[in-house]
Parts: sequence; C-alpha cells; structure tokens
Amino acid sequence: MSVITLVNVSKSYRTYAHPWDRLKEVITHRSYHQDHQVLKPLSISIGEGHVVGLVGRNGAGKSTLLKLIAGTLLPTTGTVTTQGQVAALLELGAGFHPEMSGRENVYLGAAVAGLSREFIESRYEDIVQFTGLAEAMDRPVKTYSSGMTARLAFAVAMAVEPEILILDETLSVGDGAFARRSFERIIDFKSTGKTLLFCSHSMYQVESICDRVLWINDGMVMMDGDPSEVVSAYTEFLTGQSEPPNPTHSSDSVPSASTSSGGTRIMDVKVFVDGYESKPLTIESGSSKLSIATRFKAPDNLPLPSIGIVLVGGNGWPIASASSLDDALRFTRNPEGIYQATVTFPRAPLLKGNYWINLFLMCEQGIHFYERAERVAEFTVVQNTREVGLVSLNRSWKTG
Amino acid sequence: MLHLLKKLLSGISPLLLLIRQRFLILQLLRRDIVGRTRGTLLGWLWLIAQPALQVIAFWFLLDIVFQMRSPGQVRYLNYFLIGMLPWLYLSEVLNRSINVLNEFAALYQRSRFPVAVLPLLPMVMGLLIYLPVYAGVAVYFQDGLAGLKAIAIMLLLFVWVIPFAYLLSVFGLFVREVRQVFPFFLTMIMYVTPILYAPDALPESVRWALAFNPIADLMALIQGWINGLPVEPGNWVRPLALWLLLATPAWVLFRRSEPHMREVL
Repeated sequence: MSVITLVNVSKSYRTYAHPWDRLKEVITHRSYHQDHQVLKPLSISIGEGHVVGLVGRNGAGKSTLLKLIAGTLLPTTGTVTTQGQVAALLELGAGFHPEMSGRENVYLGAAVAGLSREFIESRYEDIVQFTGLAEAMDRPVKTYSSGMTARLAFAVAMAVEPEILILDETLSVGDGAFARRSFERIIDFKSTGKTLLFCSHSMYQVESICDRVLWINDGMVMMDGDPSEVVSAYTEFLTGQSEPPNPTHSSDSVPSASTSSGGTRIMDVKVFVDGYESKPLTIESGSSKLSIATRFKAPDNLPLPSIGIVLVGGNGWPIASASSLDDALRFTRNPEGIYQATVTFPRAPLLKGNYWINLFLMCEQGIHFYERAERVAEFTVVQNTREVGLVSLNRSWKTG
Repeated sequence: MLHLLKKLLSGISPLLLLIRQRFLILQLLRRDIVGRTRGTLLGWLWLIAQPALQVIAFWFLLDIVFQMRSPGQVRYLNYFLIGMLPWLYLSEVLNRSINVLNEFAALYQRSRFPVAVLPLLPMVMGLLIYLPVYAGVAVYFQDGLAGLKAIAIMLLLFVWVIPFAYLLSVFGLFVREVRQVFPFFLTMIMYVTPILYAPDALPESVRWALAFNPIADLMALIQGWINGLPVEPGNWVRPLALWLLLATPAWVLFRRSEPHMREVL
C-alpha cells in the first residue's frame, strides 16, 4: 500500500519586484511574480514500510521535496497525499521557550505538533523516561545544554508515534548515550514496518539502511531504484564534477569530530609503514606495508563497535576502504573496556600521489557513527614505474 | 448558492478555530506570558500592572493637572476609564496583529502548524489582561450590573476586532512599511476619538467627521451602555456594517495568503 503519493508535484519559489506585489497578487489573482523552479513536476509513490533515501548535491531539491511531503511547504502544482501521521525532524524544538521549564515545553511542543492534552498527558512519563531528564524537567530549558534540549525536542517529536518519519541529514539526535538511543529509535522504524524518508550526503549510510534511493538533481528525479545502483550512478556522476564530495579539511592527526560517542571513543590512531612510525610517511607503491592501528574505549552497556577505515585521495575522493564488520573481525569483551585493532595493507597497490586516512568508530551494525577521526594521517606514495591512475591492478600479459 | 453561503459563513471561522485549537492557544498564551514576565518580582501581575500604570498616568494628567470636565453628570474619571480601557485593548490587539506573523515565525517556518491561530493570540491575550481590569473598574465606579456589561463589551470587542486583526497580520507581513507607520496611525485615531474628551467638546463644525470613525461609534455605544450617555442608531449600524463587510474577506485573504507566508520569511 502506498503511504506517500506525489502526482505531478512541482515547486517554484516566487520572487517579486516589490514586497507589496505579493499582496497585490493574493488580492487580485493577477501574476506579479517571477518563478524560480526548484522542483520540476514529478510523480512518486512510496509504499508502507519502505526506507527511502534521497541523494543529490546541495541545492538539488532534496530538502524541498522532504518539506513538501512533511506539509511545511505547499506544492506549486500537483498533489501530495500522505497516509497516517507524519513526523518531520526538520526543525526540532520549534516554539520551545528558554524561560519555560522542560515540563512546560513538553506540553508546548506537543501542542505545536498537533497533539491533544489527553494524549500528551498519557505519554508524558514515557517522554521523560526516554529523555533521561527526569530531574531537570522543572528547570528552565535555558539551563539545559544543547544536547539536553535536543533530547527533549526529539522525544516530543517522536511522541507523535508517526507512521512516516522524515529526517534531514541525521540519523541521530543529541549527544552522548542519547544519540545512540535516538538512532535506535529511528532504526526501529525499519523493523516495525513504518516508512522512513531521509536525505543524506553519506552514501555509506544511504546504502546501509535504505531499500530504495532517489537521486535528485536540478529538481528532477535522475534515478530511482536499488540503493547500490543509484549510489553507484550518483557517485560516478559526482566524479565528473569539479567539486569533490564532502571534502574534509581537518589537518589534525587526532580525532577531528566527536559525534555522539556515548562513552565509545577513539583513544589513538597510529600509522606504520613497514613497521615504522615516521613522519612524513612515504610509501613505495606495490612494496611497502601500510598498517593502521587504533585503540578505542567501549562501555559495557553497549554492543562492541565496529571500525571503518577509508583511504582518501588528494582530491578528496575515497580510494579504498575496510570495515571490521565486513571483514568479520570480532572483538572480545574485556574488563578494562579498551580494545585495539590493526589493519594492514601488504604491498599497498596505490600509485603515486598524496593520500590521507579517515577512521570511523561505528555501531555494531556499521550505521551509526560514534566518532569520526578524519585525516588522522597523510602519506605520500612514490613509484618507480610509469603507471598512471590511482591503483596498480594485478595483471598478466600474454603474447600471441 | 451553497458555496456562497459557505463563503459568507467563513467569517466566523476564527471563532470555530478558537474552540478547536484551544489547547494549542492556551499553550502559546502561557509561552507568551512566561516570555514577558518570568524573572520579574511580580510575575504575571505585570500584565495587569502595566495597563494600570498607563491609566494612572493619563488620569493624573487629565483629571488632576488639566481638571478636564466630562459630559453630563458622569464623573470624568469614570468616563475616561470606561472609554480608555476598551481603547487600550483594541490598540494593543491591532498593534500586535501587525507583527504577529513575524513574532511567531519560528513556529511555522519549518513545521506544519495552523498559522491561522496566530492572529487570535493578541486578541485572547488582550482579553486576559483587560477584561478583569475593566470589569473591576465598572463594579468599583458603579455596580455589579455595570461589571456584567463591561464583560459583555470586552467580549463583543473581541469578536469585532477579529477581521481587523487578520487583515493587519497579512498586511504587516507583506508590506513592512505598515509596521513602521501603524503605531503613529493608532495614536492619531486615539486623538480624533472621544476617549480623553467628550464628543461635545469637539467644535460643532467637525463633529460630523466622527461618523467616519468606527472607534468613535464604539466609544459612543460603550459610554451609552454603561454611563447612560446618548446613543444614535448610526453608532450601531456603522460598526456592524463594517464588521459584516470585512469578516469574510479578511478570513479569505488570510487563507489565500498562507501559502506565501513561509516564502516571505
């Protein structure tokens, strides 16, 4: 059964020479505007229980499409039909007032979300329990940290118990252990047969959780279908663009982005070439052994995490990756809660150029990021052959 | 025919919305009150104290300093307060309506939200502030019956001001100049309306102009009902006709404007 149906939906933003032209247009029904079309007519049907990802460059029209489905924007043409309650985590905590207590803001947020007093009263204890903020509920929200406010807002938004959940760029909310809980709550959608829509620049996450992907470009659906096919086509498209995807700019050799670790965190990362840790790191193409060793901390109350490593080329494009999950590496729980892993690339087949390493500490399913350590090390590959490209492939020749 | 009837009846839609969205409106009022008064010593009492102080200032100037005389047997202070408090209510509602869609933009800019409740907030908020003060003043100067009349007057003003609040909220959002000029316009209305003075204090030659001021008609009705001053049929007919003329178009214009509101912001 289709729970989201868009028929010939388009969206144009209108620009006016004078502000009062808009009012004149409303009153007289005569056109005084110029259209700036951000979404060209499209028809989409999304079935119940599907997890649909939207990919595309910034400004492609992804967020506009999500807003149209969420009902915060009205289409210029066509119709949008949704079946069941929709929750859009596009603007968490809309209407929250910093001077009001957590309790008052729960009622306010619930009212803004369209919930009745009876409904929110019956769910209030569950909301408080989920946020873990029981002792702070009578304090003004202005005394909360941003993470605490996000927790409260997320719990209120999810109290709607939606059939359709819409997310923009994030699969978790808040900080610390709550990020993990919010992530689980979102992922639970998948298992309970509800519909999840999200847009992301993380192709990894899109491929991991979606069963259908829409690629939006210049307000049009370029491709709609199997995640691996769409992501491949989209990635290929991006390689033809001048801008690299999501370039990272940190030059630190320490973890550069701690996102909602919940006690799970990277302690250190070391990179060895032929067993030596030196700076600058230089690798001889096809003969040096590249090893990346990391230590991380993981608490007892969460499943042991997985590790992902990405080798990134000098232009920002990922060249190769390795994941402890895909390679079936299992950690054994120990009382100290400190773990280590080393991945080795023998006779690294990279060709000459500059590269860097990104390391990710992820949940046991390899979807939720506890911590990202981007550009933890940079290295240079040198070669004494005439090969060109990024990697040297194993090959055999035959003469005839 | 049915469509036309529906259109005409849509003028009372804001009242139906008020009932349907009472929980949301209550929460937004609470937010407004907390935002204005939390952290102060008197708390929510400031909501009443502020207009009270304003009234005291006018009274001191007009009754004590200028020793203004009022019409007939009515004491000036009584005449002044019976007219001034409804005017303060109206002017606060109109003044806030101009800005209400900007003030609460965060609520609907990126969320699904019934925007049409927003112009109701200044109206209900004003009622919470002025109704008890007005009823109290009427009881103090006259009797319980006057208090009941005062309550009825405030409720009728609430209904009367609805189309103006909706129109102004749209104009205030789309034509920003309106926001700049409107406070001056309100002040001028107060001066050309017999609130601080009696209608017969105006020169005979300009008194006819009061017929073009609907607030002057309302003041005549209020003074007539509570203080027994003379009322003309035109004082009823003109405000009622204006309301009937504007109620439906104001609502229709607001609803038509809704798709544009997020884009303006």
